[in-house]
Amino acid sequence: MKVWSTPPTLEAAAAALERRFGDRVLERLEFRGELTCVVAPADWVELLCFCKDAPELAFDQLECLLGDHLPERVATPFEVVAHLLSHAHGHRLRVKTSLAEGQALETITGLWPSAGFDERETWEMFGVVFAGHPDLRRLLTTDDFEGFPLRKDFPLQGTVGGRIRTDLRGRI
Amino acid sequence: MGVIDRPFRGATDSQVRSLLAGGVQFDRGGVGGGDSGPAEETLGGAVRLPGGIAMPVQIERVLGFGRSFSFWPLLFGLACCAIEMMALGGSRFDMSRFGMEAMRASPRQADGMIVAGWCSVKMAPRVVRLYEQIPDPKWVLAMGSCAISGNIWDTYNIVQGVDSLIPVDVYVPGCPPRPEALWQGLEMIRERIKQSRHAYDGLRRIPARETLTAGEAAAPAKPAAQAGVGR
Repeated sequence: MKVWSTPPTLEAAAAALERRFGDRVLERLEFRGELTCVVAPADWVELLCFCKDAPELAFDQLECLLGDHLPERVATPFEVVAHLLSHAHGHRLRVKTSLAEGQALETITGLWPSAGFDERETWEMFGVVFAGHPDLRRLLTTDDFEGFPLRKDFPLQGTVGGRIRTDLRGRI
Repeated sequence: MGVIDRPFRGATDSQVRSLLAGGVQFDRGGVGGGDSGPAEETLGGAVRLPGGIAMPVQIERVLGFGRSFSFWPLLFGLACCAIEMMALGGSRFDMSRFGMEAMRASPRQADGMIVAGWCSVKMAPRVVRLYEQIPDPKWVLAMGSCAISGNIWDTYNIVQGVDSLIPVDVYVPGCPPRPEALWQGLEMIRERIKQSRHAYDGLRRIPARETLTAGEAAAPAKPAAQAGVGR
């Protein structure tokens, strides 16, 4: 029995993506009715812009944007994943892109302003730079923190990289 | 004027006026006083007040007795232990039976704080600041393994025990502690309040500030804005 099925609106959305981008959607995965598209970093903003504006897709909300470190992939160890939700159609889409060490990705804060915090956190935890981000500062760790804690080569034990700041009187 | 061997409640009007006139001098524990018998020793000794009044108990004991029935903690939870703290405040465990239900949202009105949960490095200055804003006398309870020692989070962003930041009176272990355990911890706090005992007795300083000063002394070349606590 097929428990999970792709919603019909999502199939129409996938077809629209296929028509518009063709081979530029590098990979298309379906798992339990969830659709995932993999694109090149150069197509990142264009595809997400299409996802937001095309009436068949109408992804008006960016649910979350996150990073991933896969050190076994030597050439492109980093991944940025965006989860989209359409309130009009009630379907979801996951868009991924792979990045090399030090490769910058263009920001999508122009499409969804809520991406600002997510991109800040992704930069802070993985060191993925988002070009054009209006305020790329550390979010969860202290300002003087060194290193990117969610990378796989970051030490698991020990308070490293940051210090307890009790000298920031009046600034906190 | 002879020594009046009765508590404050039985004093005459003129004696109360002279007491309230200020300049109360404590003669603790009967040290140096010739009139302190064994019975007064157990109560903490007589207190001599101006005007010849002597109180058979220390005035701090009286104050502590009163304070212990209205310990108001700061409304402040850091992590999951705060859920158990809320359970203690709720109707099932009901800490309002002991005069502790009034969790104050402002540290200016609180008598102490329950550090419930792990404290991140970024949160640490805020915890110290909240502690400093609580007026004296104050008591601190470290709730849960994370607040006590950092628990399993020996990681980049967790303070390894809040006693490296602020003086802690009572430690309540558990992950998280049951509300009954926190209740017992608060009972221990009440005992300390009755005895006027503090974690900072004789110190009047907080570890974070002390370490900060030590760090500045060790590395004077560092600019002041960068002199944090190295861990």
